[in-house]
Amino acid sequence: MPHDARDEILSRLKRTPRKDVPARRELPPLNELSLDREGMIKKFSDQLWLQTGVVHRVADAKAALEKLSEVAREEKLEKVMVATDSVIAPLDLPAWGAAEGITIFRVRDFMNRNAFKHAVFNEVQAGITGADFAVAETGTLGLIHDKDQARLISLAPILHIVIVPADRFVAVYEQAIEEVFADTDRLPSQFCFITGPSMTADIQATPFKGMHGPRRLIVIIIG
Amino acid sequence: MRVTTHRFKAVVKKEIADLSSRTFLSFLPPLFAALRQAAMASFPDPAGAHAYAADIRAEVVAHLPELLEEFERNATGHGAKVIWARDAQEANEFILNLAKEKNITLVTKGKSMVSEEIGINEVLLGNGIETYETDLGEFITQQLDRPPFHIVGPAVNISLQEICDLFMEKAGMTEPTMDPVKLGYAARLFLRDKFHRVEMGITGVNMAVAETGSLINVENEGNIRLSKSSPRIQVALMSIEKVVPTMKDALHLVRVLCRHCTGQAISAYVSIDTGPKRPGEIDGPEELYIVIVDNGRSTFYRDLRAREVLRCIRCGACMNNCPVYTTIGGYPYGWAYSGPMGQALNPLLLGLEQTQDLYRACTLCGSCKTVCPAGVDHPGLFLYYRTKDVEGDRAFGGMTRHWKETTAFRLFTYGTTHPWFWNLASKIIRPFYNNGARDGMVSELPGPFEAWFRSRNLPAMPKRTFHEEWKRIGKIPAEGPTHGSAPE
Repeated sequence: MPHDARDEILSRLKRTPRKDVPARRELPPLNELSLDREGMIKKFSDQLWLQTGVVHRVADAKAALEKLSEVAREEKLEKVMVATDSVIAPLDLPAWGAAEGITIFRVRDFMNRNAFKHAVFNEVQAGITGADFAVAETGTLGLIHDKDQARLISLAPILHIVIVPADRFVAVYEQAIEEVFADTDRLPSQFCFITGPSMTADIQATPFKGMHGPRRLIVIIIG
Repeated sequence: MRVTTHRFKAVVKKEIADLSSRTFLSFLPPLFAALRQAAMASFPDPAGAHAYAADIRAEVVAHLPELLEEFERNATGHGAKVIWARDAQEANEFILNLAKEKNITLVTKGKSMVSEEIGINEVLLGNGIETYETDLGEFITQQLDRPPFHIVGPAVNISLQEICDLFMEKAGMTEPTMDPVKLGYAARLFLRDKFHRVEMGITGVNMAVAETGSLINVENEGNIRLSKSSPRIQVALMSIEKVVPTMKDALHLVRVLCRHCTGQAISAYVSIDTGPKRPGEIDGPEELYIVIVDNGRSTFYRDLRAREVLRCIRCGACMNNCPVYTTIGGYPYGWAYSGPMGQALNPLLLGLEQTQDLYRACTLCGSCKTVCPAGVDHPGLFLYYRTKDVEGDRAFGGMTRHWKETTAFRLFTYGTTHPWFWNLASKIIRPFYNNGARDGMVSELPGPFEAWFRSRNLPAMPKRTFHEEWKRIGKIPAEGPTHGSAPE
């Protein structure tokens, strides 16, 4: 079946008269492109706040861990799934967890997908990940999913805590995408823009957060 | 999904009397329309951004076969398997066989309009495979077996009582509640277990990027991401027109889509998949199947006017601004696609005969066309379909009109082009026509024109025709003010 269907569809499409389309009209550049670093961080924070995202800003990695401890106490975290991406790995969260009395799970602690899924869906109260980008335009986080950034950590737990260094801010989506898609031989299996917690308004148009993914999103900016 | 487009008028009558539908139609579409305008204002040049999106979609339609080939090449290059399906049956058969071959017993679905078009749920459920719509609104409509009320809020009109009863019966809810948030969390709990155990995820595609072979999904709930992350097998369903040239084009369309759809600058999640998961990744699909569904599109593609409907990006802005949709809601359209979008697309997919009322239930006000970010000319298409139908164009499934109507219009055409016939006929008709005149207006006429006059009036015919009056005036000596003097 598949192959002749393909040829049939394509040949039908190609058998039609060609029609020229006029050249595209010009698209003016987006306002955000004129923002400097502080401007980007402010716009990001304001935009994410509109989506109920909570943004903290700290000076360095040590302060980030202190802020994390504060959040953990407030949220009474006991078990947490953490990514091992380039932001999170240097923070040595297993050591932090041991000091705080919090059990830290990483992907490598699990034999297989099912064991990992069981933990991330049913065991942990939060997922902690880094972000590869923070986009000022709409208060959006950009995550490259790979072996150090499992998809479900930022998705299945009810609380998502994100740590992002200040040098990862960009003004608009294109700047993130250009970087991610620069090397066509090494594209990530998934790249995800996250703007606030999961949400819906499907019952009686009543909006609420936490439909299928996290109910709350906390961002800690370092620097 | 059962297609009930032929019952349009009957469902309209029912819906106009439905208080719940009326309540939502009175505030939801205007709210969406206002949010859209506010959101577009964040562009430095909102009109320019709107036009640019339409330019992209025009290019897509013009270069469709080449873009599909480029997309297939790149998607395959990154490890996805691309399957082409001529029609709904081929697509459904492929997915069903795949599910059987892999011993799948549980499927979760992300919202996908083309999946409703081909009716994959019914096929899988009919073969004993548990299949759940997981978008909250779609979950409710699936369990109630109803078509979507609105493309963005398919179940937004369903009462709390009905949802409560439904969830008590079918979603494992243990205590009744009238709190929409608690109802939502009950659905979360129920579907969470499905997401945990799911073996095959079926998702739609908002954009398929030709230059990279990537698939883009735009959503708020996270159910699509879950359906793409948890199971070992993912099936992405796309109709042929979902392709876009470049990632840059896709990002612009995402901006415009979200603003037109819900008035958001961006949805909570925009996920971009390129191939299946890579070695070493613990979640994500091991196998990614992309099913490209034609289902009649390549056939009407040869018609240069009709093909422009393929520009549509399914944002739903047209229905929020349509005076007909905002009076009758989504049910009368009787299928996956409602509002002007459905009126433009359904007749081409189902044939003009079965969709008679769809392209006629339009005042041709043009709001849909004005608001459409893809540049679809809905009213132009409706006029085109009406012509094709009256002509009985076979390729479009046109059915022509009743012989009495055709004859009446032939006579009318003859009359308007032959003055002697016109003058004679008007003299003959006049006494019958003027018989029911009241105060110079005719508001009813027995016989075949009865229905036409039910909601319309026409002036009575004067005693003399224009020519007769002209001749008569010529014989009367001129009176009153002469030329050049000021009027009184």
